[in-house]
Amino acid sequence: MKEKDGYVNFPEQQVILYVEKEDGQYGPMQTGSYLSGNYLDDYEIKRYHLEESLRTRVMKGEISMVKYYMILEDLTLSELAARVGLSKTKVNKHLDPVHFGKAKVETLKKYADVFNVPVSNMLQVVMLKKGDNLESYTFLEENKQTEGIEQMKTENPYVMLVKIGEKRK
Amino acid sequence: MITIPYKHKMAAHCESGSITSLLNNAGFDITEPMVFGISSGIFFGYFHKMKSFPFPTFIVRNKPGKMRENLTKRTGIKFHTYTFKDPEKGRQMLNRLLEQNIPTAAQVDFFYMDYIPSWERVHINVHFIVVVGVNTNHYLVSDSYFPKLVELKTESLNMARFAGGNMSPKGFLFHPESIPKEIDYEKAIIKGIKKACFNMLKIPIPFLGVKGIRLFAKKITEWPSLARDTEHLSHEIMKINILLEDQGTGGGGFRFMFASFLQQAAGMINKPELLDFSRKMMEIGDGWREFSLLAARFGKNRDLGPERMKELSERLMDRAQVEQQFFSQLYKTIK
Repeated sequence: MKEKDGYVNFPEQQVILYVEKEDGQYGPMQTGSYLSGNYLDDYEIKRYHLEESLRTRVMKGEISMVKYYMILEDLTLSELAARVGLSKTKVNKHLDPVHFGKAKVETLKKYADVFNVPVSNMLQVVMLKKGDNLESYTFLEENKQTEGIEQMKTENPYVMLVKIGEKRK
Repeated sequence: MITIPYKHKMAAHCESGSITSLLNNAGFDITEPMVFGISSGIFFGYFHKMKSFPFPTFIVRNKPGKMRENLTKRTGIKFHTYTFKDPEKGRQMLNRLLEQNIPTAAQVDFFYMDYIPSWERVHINVHFIVVVGVNTNHYLVSDSYFPKLVELKTESLNMARFAGGNMSPKGFLFHPESIPKEIDYEKAIIKGIKKACFNMLKIPIPFLGVKGIRLFAKKITEWPSLARDTEHLSHEIMKINILLEDQGTGGGGFRFMFASFLQQAAGMINKPELLDFSRKMMEIGDGWREFSLLAARFGKNRDLGPERMKELSERLMDRAQVEQQFFSQLYKTIK
């Protein structure tokens, strides 16, 4: 690939490509990601739809928050079980809201750590008002559009500090 | 607070990049393509069904950790390595190494690298970073995928180093231990090339090497039946582009970096015939890039009917054909 063909203007995600320079030598160039630079909006639309459909299923009681995050984070049952240190049978049960209700708080903490979310999010769906609509905190946080709310860990592993912004007039 | 003076540089790939960066900072001059080539980094493997992956996937490099191990075997450069059962001991050892001003590479789950944009972050336990400092709440990190030195929360690094699951890092750390005064580059380069040819052509496993590319070509037509819906299929098809271009390959599924290695090797060991292979490998990389851009376009347009899948399959068969020819000729020339 020629150096001129590798250039993508996308400072948010930089990569190194090995390209042919003008003098015929091959070497590294720093440039933007082609996929993110051209199609990030498409990724976000798909992500939004996936989150929305999983959230709907959570709220209907079809799946638990464990399954919600497992699918969002592209983990298999085996992988999730290995990461939380539980058997596959047990994790499989926790995907179902009925059995999820029997999980210990310390087990929820293990799931929350793997998913890298506050433990309180294993029991709640946070929606934020955005214009006339409500949008999922999970989706907005991924896209760094979470003005108005902040969930922070405290020294107590089972208590989160939730800061909610001032109500606008 | 500890901050080790460290010259940060982005690299194409996290493992070859962190090895190169550690060696360069230790005063040893070597390029990332040379590390990649000597360690036989180029590869292909297709995984249609694996417990750890929710959807079929593929790899374009050798097994994580092999680059460092192969480099040691072929050049005599030694690395001190550490693994831990107890996270607390792992954390203490890292801090002790930093107190001794030793920049140290750590194997981590990429998902917890919170300075990386969220759309890039996935759970994968084989990312490598170099830790070059520590204060009360953060580590200072040199990550080949990020343009500058960056702070990472202590908690995030601890989670990332001791994530469970497939290829769990177990707190793995390494840093250079000794670098020989003289290295027989001719021997190291030839060994690296021979092993790469063997890996691509002769491993008797149907999903590895050129056979793996052919299997991918055959199986990609089954992908629509494995996806949840059209958007999921679109996502997986577009991920082909990530795996070939964005996920630390230097473009064209590492083929551009291998071309760069062959060009450097031709001069270093006075084998001008490698220049021709270098040009051919650049063209092969161009073919992979075209394939990955085509996949991205089909995915974006949701143009994912049987005809399109067949088109992608044919492109892959073509890649298998040219790589079979390339590595066969390279092996004959180098042996």
